[in-house]
Amino acid sequence: MRSIASLLGRRVLQALLAALFVSSLCFFMVRFLPGDIAFDIASGRYGQEMTTQAAAAEVRAELGLDKPMAAAWLSSVSALARFDLGRSYTLGKPVWGLIREQLGHTLQLSGLAMLFSLLIGPPIGIIAALRPGGLVDRLNLLGSALLRALPPFATGIILIIIFAASLHWLPAAGHTQRGTIILPALTLALGLAAVSSRVVRSAMIDVARSAYFHFPLTKGLPLSTVVLRHGVRNMAVPVIAHLAMQFVYLIEGAIVVETLFAWPGIGHALSHAVRERDIPLIQGAVLVMAILFVLFNMVIDLVLVALDPRMRAG
Amino acid sequence: MSMALVVDGLNIRSRQAHLVRHVSFAVERGHSLTILGETGSGKSLVSQAIMGTLAAGLNATGTIVIDGVAGPATTPDRHRLWGRTLATLPQEPWRSLDPTMKAVDQVAEGYRSLSRRNARGVAGDALRHLGLGGAERHYPFMLSGGMAQRVAFAAATAAGANILLVDEPTKGLDIALRDAVVALLRAALAEGRTLVTITHDINVARALGGEVIIMLDGEIVEQGPASTILSAPAHEYTRRLLAAEPAAWPARRPARTDGAAILTAHGLTKRYGHKTLFKDINVVIKAGECRAIVGPSGSGKTSFGDALLGLTPVDAGEVTRAPWIATMRFQKLYQHPTAAFAPRIPLGQALNDLISLHRLDLGRVAPMMAGLRLNPDLLQRRPDQVSGGELQRISLLRLLLLSPAFIFADEPTSQLDPITQQEVMDLLMQHVAEHDTALLLVTHDPAIGANVSGGLPLLPDHGRSLLAASGQN
Repeated sequence: MRSIASLLGRRVLQALLAALFVSSLCFFMVRFLPGDIAFDIASGRYGQEMTTQAAAAEVRAELGLDKPMAAAWLSSVSALARFDLGRSYTLGKPVWGLIREQLGHTLQLSGLAMLFSLLIGPPIGIIAALRPGGLVDRLNLLGSALLRALPPFATGIILIIIFAASLHWLPAAGHTQRGTIILPALTLALGLAAVSSRVVRSAMIDVARSAYFHFPLTKGLPLSTVVLRHGVRNMAVPVIAHLAMQFVYLIEGAIVVETLFAWPGIGHALSHAVRERDIPLIQGAVLVMAILFVLFNMVIDLVLVALDPRMRAG
Repeated sequence: MSMALVVDGLNIRSRQAHLVRHVSFAVERGHSLTILGETGSGKSLVSQAIMGTLAAGLNATGTIVIDGVAGPATTPDRHRLWGRTLATLPQEPWRSLDPTMKAVDQVAEGYRSLSRRNARGVAGDALRHLGLGGAERHYPFMLSGGMAQRVAFAAATAAGANILLVDEPTKGLDIALRDAVVALLRAALAEGRTLVTITHDINVARALGGEVIIMLDGEIVEQGPASTILSAPAHEYTRRLLAAEPAAWPARRPARTDGAAILTAHGLTKRYGHKTLFKDINVVIKAGECRAIVGPSGSGKTSFGDALLGLTPVDAGEVTRAPWIATMRFQKLYQHPTAAFAPRIPLGQALNDLISLHRLDLGRVAPMMAGLRLNPDLLQRRPDQVSGGELQRISLLRLLLLSPAFIFADEPTSQLDPITQQEVMDLLMQHVAEHDTALLLVTHDPAIGANVSGGLPLLPDHGRSLLAASGQN
């Protein structure tokens, strides 16, 4: 299949370009942040009180921060080309090792969030689609608008207030206790389900109204067969295409939610790294996210191609 | 003599109105019955009552006998007959086929008593029988309109239904596709199936023969053999219906051809993918002249008109519009009036917005409404609350408010039934003549093309190349 090969080729090229662009962008953004970068790194290493002119000067010399910016950028790009992510400025450990551990936590959290959202969103969407304009449909619209309008940290705080502070059902934060993953996963899942329920609802209504759904009934097929054979498959196309977008929300949400719930994932690490101007760690974390994003989109593309023959012709 | 279908004393009421009144007819096994009538005549309601798909708010009374089994007009389990006894050919087959399933599988799933493999074999035979041998494994988007129609036919009749109920099978189709559908229906008749066709196209009724019913305002006004009714109509309405056939339209006085050139196109070329829609076309449109392009769907007629108006980019060539005429006065009349109006805005407001935007004279609306035989009350309504003919006349009104010097009318009447079609065309032609407006009409109906261009050649140069470039089904 030539179209599939070209699709894969396009995605690999995209991943490479994204890696170059994203890591360069991170580099310059962090370099251009106001304030003295050496001071920020030193305070990340030794703590606010211990940061002195001397400590900053030491950091500057050690990391070569006084070198011209272009040279520093080139050396960071060439290190990337050798798959060398470098060492964290503040922790001193290899970035790849740090990220590998954090990524595990993040994938665990995102996976559970996705699972929760699939348990919440599509069933509500299907129920809403059974009676468009009905009570469930309108409540769903209201709820999803509210949830999507709330930034994840606000949703998270509300969940903490309800389930941790008031009801004491679940721990509020951390990752050592049992059940700590539930609230952050739920926070992310609610944001995802807010949109996916609406996407499922529209897809379902479109399919049920379509001529290709009605015609097989007149061929004499029972409704259940038509739903399974012609309904679900056609409905799945827009729903799965939408999953690719949801990934963006997951990444964006992971940074906020992991910080809020002190979940030791890549998002949490990234927010610390930005504060401490830990350029290699930022670059590493963002790079991994960008590549994951491209990979995820590639998987979605392949699933869509398998589902919808029209995409194969493209 | 055995009857496949008997409808006795069918009445259909909504809460407000009595929509179908005392309709009775019988169709012999293996024969054809065609119900002719305009939109709103209740003919589709009759077919829905037979299929058992009437909308929830409608109440049907009377008796319907299908294959010797009598039942009340409204029954919750008519769908048990679907596929096995009663089948229907969808109006738009390319939309009725599942886009994600191969043609042969969509036919095969109708053979429910057979195993999956056998069903596929039989379905393949059925498709080959319809001349679709190469298309078995194709998906619907790879089929032409005519092929999709045949696949849908095979799928609809797979479960063995002998009574075929067909509602407006030719709506919006060009002549080639229409003839293909008629051939398909005649083949079904030849196989011994019973055919009930609902249409507003007299040509279809004529080609199918058998019995004809003429419906008007929910009642049967005339009923009998096609050969008699379509040649010697007794009822006044039937006579009007026959006179509204484009081939029967009175000839028009030719439009003037001595006007100044207002639009000149030179070397126009447009490709779509690998297909050349038109190539190297030169045309001069003069003030007040009427031209027509006739061709099948997909031949690039619309793109050509759009290119003249600058609505679509061309790959080569250029269009010059007379500099003394405001750009706004080059206008297009769209095929689907519903798509040309904002759906939730009352029509009056849509017109007022146009008037205030272009600082037009509000006083012109009322006399123009009268001229177009439009009731002023219509302006209170939304586009979905008026009929297709009314809406197309309102879009004509909207366009005439801009005092166009040139109108590109893109199949303006192909969605309308014959009497309304003639009315809208007459009004369009009358205004064009009175205001010295140039007209380019795109149509798939040669009779309309000949009528409008008043015997003038149909823009022969590009007419030919458009047709030559079109990959007809």
